[in-house]
Amino acid sequence: MRIGDFRASYAQDEALWPTRVQQSCLVALAVALLMLPLGVNGYVVGLACMVGIHCIAAAGLNIMTGYTGLISLGHAAFMGVGCYAAAWAAQRGVPTLLTLLWAGGLAALLGIVVGLPSLRIKGLYLAVATLAMQFLLVYVFREWDSVTGGVRGVNVPNAHILGFELLNDQRMYYLILPVAALMLVGARNLFRTRVGRAFIAIRDKDISAEVLGIDLLHYKLASFALGSFYAGVAGALLGYFYRAMTPEYFTLQLSIFYLAAIIVGGLGSMLGTILGAVFMTLVPEILRAIVALVAQWAPRATEVLSPMQQLVFGLLIMGFLVFEPHGLLEIWRRLRRSFHLWPFRS
Amino acid sequence: MHNADLFNPSRRRIVGAGLGAAGLSALPMHAALAQTGELVVAAAPPITGVFAFAGVGLHQGLGDYCDWRNQTKGGVAGRKLRYIGEDSGYKMDQAMSVFKKLMGAHKPPVFYGDSTAWAKAASREVSQLGSTLTSSPSFASDLADPKEVPYYFMAGPTYTAMGEILLEYINRTSRGATKPAVAIVYSDTEFGRDPIAGIKAKAQALQIPVVQEIVTKPGAVDVSSEVAKLRRSKPDFVIFHGYVLAPIPEFIKQMREAGMSTTPMGTIWSMDQTTVGAMGAAAQGWMGVMPYRYTFDTKDAPTMQAIKDYAARARPDMKYVPLFYTHGWLVGMIFSEVMERVLKAGKPLTGPNMKAALESIDNWDTGGLTGLLVSLKGHQIASGRIYAYNAESKLMEPASGWIKTA
Repeated sequence: MRIGDFRASYAQDEALWPTRVQQSCLVALAVALLMLPLGVNGYVVGLACMVGIHCIAAAGLNIMTGYTGLISLGHAAFMGVGCYAAAWAAQRGVPTLLTLLWAGGLAALLGIVVGLPSLRIKGLYLAVATLAMQFLLVYVFREWDSVTGGVRGVNVPNAHILGFELLNDQRMYYLILPVAALMLVGARNLFRTRVGRAFIAIRDKDISAEVLGIDLLHYKLASFALGSFYAGVAGALLGYFYRAMTPEYFTLQLSIFYLAAIIVGGLGSMLGTILGAVFMTLVPEILRAIVALVAQWAPRATEVLSPMQQLVFGLLIMGFLVFEPHGLLEIWRRLRRSFHLWPFRS
Repeated sequence: MHNADLFNPSRRRIVGAGLGAAGLSALPMHAALAQTGELVVAAAPPITGVFAFAGVGLHQGLGDYCDWRNQTKGGVAGRKLRYIGEDSGYKMDQAMSVFKKLMGAHKPPVFYGDSTAWAKAASREVSQLGSTLTSSPSFASDLADPKEVPYYFMAGPTYTAMGEILLEYINRTSRGATKPAVAIVYSDTEFGRDPIAGIKAKAQALQIPVVQEIVTKPGAVDVSSEVAKLRRSKPDFVIFHGYVLAPIPEFIKQMREAGMSTTPMGTIWSMDQTTVGAMGAAAQGWMGVMPYRYTFDTKDAPTMQAIKDYAARARPDMKYVPLFYTHGWLVGMIFSEVMERVLKAGKPLTGPNMKAALESIDNWDTGGLTGLLVSLKGHQIASGRIYAYNAESKLMEPASGWIKTA
């Protein structure tokens, strides 16, 4: 049984992963993630890429909604901005890493514009304002033919890193993985800084935060910009991953997908973001795999059981909200506590 | 390790064992399946989602064709077909995921997707792999391009070609010096907008005036202002595209109430017998282009008879064989024909070989499923016939001969 961590310096106190066990697990995880494409087929690598992209996008939404309390229903549209910006830049030969920054930056700029109403409105009213932006941007994607390709969509050239063409999922994985890791660690680090704490203060009570000297204009817009930056980068990676995109991808349904991911995972936590993104990506795959397994013995099972998958997925989400409102994160924490205190009860 | 520990596992061991098992299950297991000699026909049909009304039929038609082929012809070139279809939900992520999964697990020589978005997203990967011929229910004009999308074909005409067939019919049936006026009503989607430029170009070439162009939401309900526009422009024909059902019945109902004698026309996905029947009274006078025969039309069409017989035997609960089923069946026929040509030539089933075999299909008899002999040189079957709904017989009846576009 572990009874606590002894921290003898401020550096130890501020460390992201203070214990040896955490550090060892992290190294093991990093090695496992780096080796993943060598031991699994393209399907699993493709899923891992999607999990990475979803983690980045969900992290952005968690910064806005989970940490700052600014509800956004327009996250998918910011991803779209990133995707189309990346396509535009990539078609003109801009290097991939610069393209990611450009895509994120453009989305961040738009995020600032969308964030302006947050100074006057909040809660559901802000959600509706962001919803309006969702529809507006999707309209732009459909109509601005010369840039977005209109309803026919746009092709995104293959990503290149130092002259090396990322022409398949295995290679894309080695772009998505470090970008996702960097952005998630960056986001986690952010909440140990003045900016991050200001976000949390605004979420908890914006009037009190202002009394404490926090500039609401500055920090709310910063939160929108940062969250949108993450969405833009995720959208750019999505474009590089699929190499073609149509406006029909960036629907309200996708925005709600990310909202569900951070709620199921755990609001206001980067680990919750990862758990939520993994859950929302993998559970439908697992359910479909079960149907495929049954279909080997009962060929008609696909027709009968496929509609049931959505029902089960919906019930699982509802189950989490009812029985574990704090999300998968709380289940993870309980599991960890149980291991730490074993053989005693947590 | 103490032996007793094996029978007295701690939570850590249980979780460890679980994670280990999960890790092992992720290892590639396709090798055994890929070498069984079966030819895998893989698919990601939209069994759920907004396109489910069609996806179930597509899935059944393609799967049943594979079974029928195995039973009646022993498969393709002596190798049995094995159909594997997983639901795409009509979502691009899911369709791509199914595609990657089935490609990784079974390396199928042929793959049937679910949409234009999927076809576009998968095309680069398919080109890079160079091992698979693909198709989908999408008839988007961009996809019938042997140069840009070399390993994709469509089992029917493009939406543009469908519009051209409608205009050919209008042109051929027009009487007098003045050509009939046409209006186009389409949904504000990729599906809806796809053929509009082509339809307008063809109309111009045939000197048919396009007097009105209306864009609506895909499932629009209130169409009174749009009908008022139509009333003012007085078209003889209205071509609806980009819809399955709504808002077509509402349009026709309001047009009739306004005293308009305009003939409403549609394209393939709004031509299924049950879909048209669901329009109720509005269905009377409905016309449209169909690339295939309906399954009740079995005269001189052995394939339609085979479909009807097989569906009755394998699916006794299916009262009517939808056009989606026929489409899936035809896709299976083309896949099989292509693979047979390649295998009989003693060549491996690679993308370039299958593309060459596909393009070698000319004057191919589909057994009456299509009205004309088929050529797939342009990766599409550019022919169709106009059918009109007869409210008395409750059947779609031929209103023209088979029309081929350029």
